[in-house]
Amino acid sequence: MLAAQAWLRQCSLIKADLRLRMILKRLLDMLLTFRALPVVLCLVFQLASLAPALAQGPENFLTTQREKLSEIEATVDGLEQEIDDQATDDGELVSVRVELEKLAREVFDASLAFRPRLSEINTRLEQLGEPRKEGEPAEPEEVTRERTRLLDEKASFNVLIGDAERLSVRINSVVDGIAELRRDLFTRTLSRRYDVSAALSADVAGEFAQEVGRVYQRVSAWLSFVFKYRLKSLLLATTLATIAALTLLFGGRRLFGDFVEPDPTEAEPTYLSRLSVGLFSTLIPSLSIGVFLASTYYFLDYFSLLRTDIQPLLWSLFSVIILVYFVYRLARAILAPRRPNWRLLPVRSQAAQWLLVLAVVTAIATGFDYFMDQVYSLFGSQLSLTVATSLVATVIVGLLIMAIGGVSPLDDEEGNPKPWPLKFRYLLFALGAAIIIAAMLGYIGFARFLSQQAVVTGAIIATMYIGFLTAGAITSEGAFANSWLARRLERYTAFDETALDQLGLVTGMLINMIVILIGVPLILLQWGFRWADLTAWSYRIAGRIQVGSLSFSIVGILTGILVFVIGYFVTRWFQSWLDGKVMARSRMDSGVRNSIRTGIGYVGLVIAALIGISAAGINLSNLALVAGALSLGIGFGLQNIVSNFVSGLILLAERPFKAGDWIVAGGVSGTVKKISVRATEIETFQRQSVILPNSELINAAVGNWTHRNKLGRMEIPIGVAYGSDVRRVHEILLEIARSHPLVLKNPEPFVLFAGFGDSSLDFEIRVYLSDILMQLNVQNDIRFAIVDAFEAEGIEIPFPQRDIHVRSGLFRAQESDETPNEEELADGVEDEQGDLPAGKRRRRRKVDPE
Amino acid sequence: MKTMKIFALAATTFIFAGGSAFAASVVNRDSEPQTIVVTEGGSQSEIVVGAGETIEFCAAGCFVTMPNGDREVLTGSETVEISEGRGRVR
Repeated sequence: MLAAQAWLRQCSLIKADLRLRMILKRLLDMLLTFRALPVVLCLVFQLASLAPALAQGPENFLTTQREKLSEIEATVDGLEQEIDDQATDDGELVSVRVELEKLAREVFDASLAFRPRLSEINTRLEQLGEPRKEGEPAEPEEVTRERTRLLDEKASFNVLIGDAERLSVRINSVVDGIAELRRDLFTRTLSRRYDVSAALSADVAGEFAQEVGRVYQRVSAWLSFVFKYRLKSLLLATTLATIAALTLLFGGRRLFGDFVEPDPTEAEPTYLSRLSVGLFSTLIPSLSIGVFLASTYYFLDYFSLLRTDIQPLLWSLFSVIILVYFVYRLARAILAPRRPNWRLLPVRSQAAQWLLVLAVVTAIATGFDYFMDQVYSLFGSQLSLTVATSLVATVIVGLLIMAIGGVSPLDDEEGNPKPWPLKFRYLLFALGAAIIIAAMLGYIGFARFLSQQAVVTGAIIATMYIGFLTAGAITSEGAFANSWLARRLERYTAFDETALDQLGLVTGMLINMIVILIGVPLILLQWGFRWADLTAWSYRIAGRIQVGSLSFSIVGILTGILVFVIGYFVTRWFQSWLDGKVMARSRMDSGVRNSIRTGIGYVGLVIAALIGISAAGINLSNLALVAGALSLGIGFGLQNIVSNFVSGLILLAERPFKAGDWIVAGGVSGTVKKISVRATEIETFQRQSVILPNSELINAAVGNWTHRNKLGRMEIPIGVAYGSDVRRVHEILLEIARSHPLVLKNPEPFVLFAGFGDSSLDFEIRVYLSDILMQLNVQNDIRFAIVDAFEAEGIEIPFPQRDIHVRSGLFRAQESDETPNEEELADGVEDEQGDLPAGKRRRRRKVDPE
Repeated sequence: MKTMKIFALAATTFIFAGGSAFAASVVNRDSEPQTIVVTEGGSQSEIVVGAGETIEFCAAGCFVTMPNGDREVLTGSETVEISEGRGRVR
């Protein structure tokens, strides 16, 4: 036994080591691009993991494995005996099957442990080669001896694996046998016919009273014992259970307060609120009762207050109470007899009351039958008593179901009572009739199965249906955004209406999933499937799926997505922490901060993705192949994208400009809004967003007005009329420039006498500003000041002027007395710039103001 | 609502269908057919692998007896290569 335990420990050590090795290998693959190192390291790890298995020597290993197998065989013998003894108990059969399946896996693992040694032996044998044949030169004695030793070892391994194989076959056939036994058991229960006439004799009533008396005796004896000797434990157990139930009840009410109790003042509740009230007012109180009873049972058991005869009684009593209460809450939620506006099913108020009573009585009858069955089997009562009780109970249930079908709950056009739709009515009648007929004919097992299914499965399906309807109602547009939960979310979080609507969609899907995940197993459990079956299925779903050389599992992928989402949020959090808490204090430049922030965002995203893929169980070396193929595609098709991407990284690192800078690039002038990895967003001063690919910003010249600082020069040209006092003008302009508060003293403002223009003497004021972005204001101020100052000094600001000399038409008049026509006059006008085109010439003609 | 249900159904089918597409494979590198004996669950069967042929078997763990009598245990994700009657697990 001790040896087996030691072996087990070793095996789990090997497994843990294997897992560690896998993780390390993935990490190394990820980090190192050249391949030789990971391979070498992996070999080292492999050897390290083999070491403990071989350290104890092949002989010793063989013995422990053999002992292990024989131990398993003994357990299987015991279990087979158990099957023979418990062939009529379905639950016992299932637990034996679970045990057997576990043993089968153990056998398998034990045989798997030989593999490393076996492959080692095979390799060594191959190295030694075939034995020499007759006539060939003899090989060294040493080689022959080693070959024989290895072959012997291999043979003993083979024998042991053969034993394991036979054991595995045996276990599997026993498991198959159990499945057959259970099928038979189920069919026997349903198809067995009892003698009903014996059950209806007068003695049965007396026997029934006797049994009830026995129950009373047992329970009162137990209670008086508990009260006398174990009162403290009882009180403690009840208190703890009550606390657990109250926590759930009040917690649920606090969270879903408006849903558990309908608001009586609300005249017309929405469909969604009616549905949610229906769902939560069923689930939360039922769950509270369930938790209370389950924890009471658990604590009573924990303080060993339960005697073996009380235990099953209490268990079945509690189950019945939960069932009846659940049916009551559900029926009340759907029918709402006192609150017509909260009713989910459009039935008449009186019919609603009536239906509620019928449903609850049906549940009570079924529960009573179930409870009495437990009592009878506990006390070993006579079969006739069981048959009689079940007969009465099932017939009552059948009648009740038919009665439900007979109610006329709906309104017709004139407002008179109308029966159920035909199909539903016939379904109920057929079900009720089938139960009654089966019971009357003596097929009590079948009748009981039908009536229990009608109550329990019916209740579960009804709840699931409400759940689906709720999900559908939440998903419909705008429904969630108007709900109570959304209003609360809106108050405490930054969600807007669209986000809430999308949240509603997700919530709807989640509710659907939860309803399926909870409802379907519950129904399957009702139909004779066992918990072990369900867990076996879920293991299968969680298992790995192979697609080509890629293998993954659904659970793994979900884990991967979850890990990625968590990684994403951690990155975001780290980003804002670093930006807001660390970099803000270090008086770092906002551009650097932005670059670091963006860089960390991308790095975090990549790391989260890698960890997510790793957690999903997808081997990263498989992705390397994809990456290899992609790089070829990048060479051709994605060239531009990649070049932009790399340019973006360079922009972040080199920072020729940062967000908020005024740049001029590729004919665009504006403020940089955001530097992304592919493109940069620039906002022009007309508020137009221009998305400029990063490669253009890297490859072409970029002008940046605010690169190191915002200092910049601006010029204001101004002309004065010929004949003005230029020195005085220079003085005035300089004075104006100097006196402006935003103009820098150093570099000093400068006034340039720029040239002799066509119609003016041209000056230019050149001033430096500490913030070039303020230039428009400064320009305005200076221009106003110039106009004012010139006016005061009487200095004229001229506009382009032209002297027109009219060669008088006198001598033409001398020749002839005719007045000259327009065209001739125009010809006679002599322009100073006679080479101007005709159109311009006419436009420029202007009368000299003087 | 309806599309959602169809999607759920399709996903479930995929999971169950995908679950069965998980197997070990055996490839015969010899020039003549080889026979391996496979015990899976409670049943034992002989599989004849033609020359150069690859066959998928053993969905979830099995015992295999190679043509030369060697025994092996497969978890269901390995590839077995047979050459000169000897089986090699990869």
